[in-house]
Amino acid sequence: MNNAVLRLTDVTRTHGAAPHEVLALRGVSFAAYPGELVAVMGPSGSGKSTLLTIAGGLDQPSSGEVSVEGVDLARLGQEGRARMRRTSIGYVFQGLNLIPALTATENVALPRELDGVAPRRARAEARRALEEVGILDLADRFPDNMSGGQQQRVAIARAVVGERRLILADEPTGALDTETGEGILQLLRARCDAGAAGVLVTHEARHAAWADRVVFLRDGVVVDETGTDRADVLTEPAAR
Amino acid sequence: MNQRIGGWRVALRLARREAWRRKAQTTLMLVLVCLPVLAVAAAAVVWRTASVSGAESVDRRLGTSAALVSGSGTSEVLQGVDPDGPTSWVSEDEHVATVDEVRGVLGADRELVPIAQEYLSYRTDRGVGDLVVTQTDLANPLTDGLFRLEEGRYPRADDEVVVNAVVAGRGPGPGETLTVLRRTPDGETRTDLHVVGIAASATTREEGVAAVLPGALGVPESQPAWLVGGDPVSWDDVRALNAVGLLGASRQVLTDPPPDSALPPEVVGDEPVDETRLTALLLVVTMVLLEVVLLAGPAFAVRARAQARTLALTAAAGGTPAQARRTVLASGVVVGLVGGLLGVVLGIGLGALLVPLAQRFLGTWFGPFEVPWPLLVVVACFGLAAAVLAAVVPAFSASRQDVVAVLAGRRGEGRPSRRSPVLGLVLVGAGLAAGLLGSRASGASPALVAASALLSVVGMILLVATVVALVGQVARGFPLSLRFAARDAARHRTRTVPAVAAVGATVAGVIALAVALSSQQAADERDHDPQLAHGYGAVPLDATADPTAVRRVLATRLPGATVDAVDGVRSDDPEAFVEVGFEVDGEQLVLPTSGVFGTAELVAGAAPAALGLDAADQERADRALAEGRVVLVRGADAFGPEVAGRVRVVAGERAVDLPATTVHPPGGLGAASAVLPPAVAADLGLPVVTTALALAPSISTAAEQDLAEALATVPGAGTLVVERGYQPEDGVRILQWVLALLGGILMLGGTLTATFLALSDARPDLATMAAVGARPRTRRRVAAAYALVVGLVGALLGTPIGFIPGIAVSRPLSRGDDGSTLLAVPWPLLGLVVIGLPLLTAAAVGLCARSRLPLVARID
Repeated sequence: MNNAVLRLTDVTRTHGAAPHEVLALRGVSFAAYPGELVAVMGPSGSGKSTLLTIAGGLDQPSSGEVSVEGVDLARLGQEGRARMRRTSIGYVFQGLNLIPALTATENVALPRELDGVAPRRARAEARRALEEVGILDLADRFPDNMSGGQQQRVAIARAVVGERRLILADEPTGALDTETGEGILQLLRARCDAGAAGVLVTHEARHAAWADRVVFLRDGVVVDETGTDRADVLTEPAAR
Repeated sequence: MNQRIGGWRVALRLARREAWRRKAQTTLMLVLVCLPVLAVAAAAVVWRTASVSGAESVDRRLGTSAALVSGSGTSEVLQGVDPDGPTSWVSEDEHVATVDEVRGVLGADRELVPIAQEYLSYRTDRGVGDLVVTQTDLANPLTDGLFRLEEGRYPRADDEVVVNAVVAGRGPGPGETLTVLRRTPDGETRTDLHVVGIAASATTREEGVAAVLPGALGVPESQPAWLVGGDPVSWDDVRALNAVGLLGASRQVLTDPPPDSALPPEVVGDEPVDETRLTALLLVVTMVLLEVVLLAGPAFAVRARAQARTLALTAAAGGTPAQARRTVLASGVVVGLVGGLLGVVLGIGLGALLVPLAQRFLGTWFGPFEVPWPLLVVVACFGLAAAVLAAVVPAFSASRQDVVAVLAGRRGEGRPSRRSPVLGLVLVGAGLAAGLLGSRASGASPALVAASALLSVVGMILLVATVVALVGQVARGFPLSLRFAARDAARHRTRTVPAVAAVGATVAGVIALAVALSSQQAADERDHDPQLAHGYGAVPLDATADPTAVRRVLATRLPGATVDAVDGVRSDDPEAFVEVGFEVDGEQLVLPTSGVFGTAELVAGAAPAALGLDAADQERADRALAEGRVVLVRGADAFGPEVAGRVRVVAGERAVDLPATTVHPPGGLGAASAVLPPAVAADLGLPVVTTALALAPSISTAAEQDLAEALATVPGAGTLVVERGYQPEDGVRILQWVLALLGGILMLGGTLTATFLALSDARPDLATMAAVGARPRTRRRVAAAYALVVGLVGALLGTPIGFIPGIAVSRPLSRGDDGSTLLAVPWPLLGLVVIGLPLLTAAAVGLCARSRLPLVARID
């Protein structure tokens, strides 16, 4: 399958040097396709967050290959990987996602403005993204004046603004109540249904239920990969 | 390009909003940037207002006239725009200017008001004082602006006078009689004038000033001068005046000067560039900039730390490391712009408040209130540059932070650079070499000395991180608070290093200046040439003086003082010609004939105590004089051999060779050349008279002025000389205190900034300590320990560094005639700065810090 938005091939990430080195990921291969939401599950320290930072080009694998929309991130410099995050990759973290000194619109417009888009146009795009996640009325509010759920919606708007095709979400509902969390996952799901690929790191099975596939990590190794429907186990998503 | 512009737009927006969100931190940053700008702006306003430009001084010099024309003393002259500037005498013949010559050039119908200024004397309550007398008709409108009438009226008759407040304070006031004394070689003339008013001179403030009508005090000795009414006097008119030997200060020419090409080449010369002053100025500006940058550095480091998550989120949203740098630098831009503008505005206000105060202390009349806008723009830019530079290191650290670590809630400070300490040592070495080279006896270079200061301080800054890290490593055996502070300082180097460097640079600057000042002072003391024995005074008497009258004044003014007559042979008496000399290499070396006793050839049965001989020399001199030998007084700087066994005394036509005994008074030359026994003087027929009165004990400085004024009333009494030994200049003493104070303030400022920023940063750690049972006073102890670490490490680093430029500056300043140099270490100041101030700062911080431990949850 060549149309994967995100593909990790035999990725290993080592921290520190021998004899104290720690293997965060060991030979992980994994892909996410357009329209697909993949959940990554595993206990603490299993390498979930490391996988996400490597997928977003914030960290570099010690070995292996990571490509986003067919572009090998290792071939890009720091500038190139930053450009990918402005145009192709969107991040959503567990909490403290937003820059407190910027309004909701400015937070969402941030990647576009950094990309050199004129402020007026960037804000217009940001307002459209905010409308998509249903909080256009909060456009001029600062994060301090928003609830956790509202902040996460702004974060999702920022992750999708500019038609980015890969959304990486690291426990985006971890700091939210159940109902608000469900709403956030619903948004993620909707964005993937609209054609983006999503990777959701979570340790709650009910959140993983929103995903098309679940990848299980333990000690940096993919120990299982399954569809949320047990019958789909190990079935290539494109074949379903 | 669009990305860069967009990046700066976002960065500046973030900086602006962050500045508003973190008001306390921003206020601190603003204060650090604003204060030096404010101080310099205020000083610039005072300086600009104090300096009276040529155009501004026109009214003060010319009143309302078109020009002031004066005789040059010769029949042709060349002048520049201002006759007080360079002039050139074309003719060498003596010539006294006349009214007709002025009218011949400027027109027969011109109004001319005579004006003259003379330096005379007047009777004060205590004696006689100096007086600047202007002779002109102050009622004439052309003179408006020369004086400001404060009380009474201007003179209308020849026996009337107005005086300024200085004269009124020391002598006659309104309604009383002013006695003006004109002293010439032919004698003294006295004129009694009726004081009709108090008027302030526009040009002279602290001296005694009086104004009378022309001719009221006879014909002045100065060249005649006139204030010219009517149409403006052009540059061509001035040239025409010059052609007949007149000088012209023209309002039109002074306010609208001709181009340099129109000036005679003889009076046009480029001002030589004072390389030393320029170098010193550049060094001071650079060091002040460095100091401000270092003081503000910790605040920007903490701001960057506080923005760490923002920067990481920006990176996650596609921001590059350059964007992180821009964001932190934008803080510098915002704070620098606001701080610079605020500093300038407040500085103008402070300057306006200081102008009257400065005018009172400086004793001059200032010009109209003036704001030097171009200079203030430069000063504001200095503030901006300082803030941006202070943000540079935090910006680069921020751009290198581990984004993943920060997003995961960990701190992302990198390892210290291994290259920095090596480069630091190299720079310190280069500074040392530059200092040695720049202070050589031959080829000394102020630029190299300045470079030595800069190189060694920058080198020290590069060493700070390593030293702080080392302190953290050796903290194992320290008490808990000190250990915590040392390790915390080492962990947060971006915050600690600029604070320690600021203290270090301050200490280095203070030590350098203090060493230079002390060494110069030691050299001045070494080179001091006492004129008399320590504590003694002398009043020389000329041939007309009555010693009894002088004794009477001394007895009145200094009751209880011992007054001894010093006898000798007058050097100014043609009837009493005497020379004392001895043979050197076949030629006669004649000794000086004049001295502080009115002569250098004394006649006495015992050496006068005022010569200041030590006990052995005094005994030898007395014995020699008793035996009829001449006593030769040879100071350390006396020309010729130190000792001579025989001298030749020439008295008129007679010359005799006599045995001599040599003594060595303190000082370079001594107060006399020789002391002749009375019998020898009698044999040679020399007229021996009292040439001076020597008095002991020492006279206070306050009493000296009163005594000098009282002695000035006695005809023939010379100027009182008092030997107080080497007296360090007040300016030097004040400067040393200012240095210690400035060092203390900067050290306190730098340490306080860093300490309280550290405490706010360490809230989670302190909360943890509270959770495990730390007592409330722990926070205070940690604060004091942090201040001690910053202050002590900075002081210990700065002290040896300060010695490098200190020694380099001291060597040329203290170099004696024999090439030897002095190094005087100001140990008390050194102890105060290195040990006293860090301890004092730590104590102050410990007392000021809140003792309550924070109750916050750890967020990282």
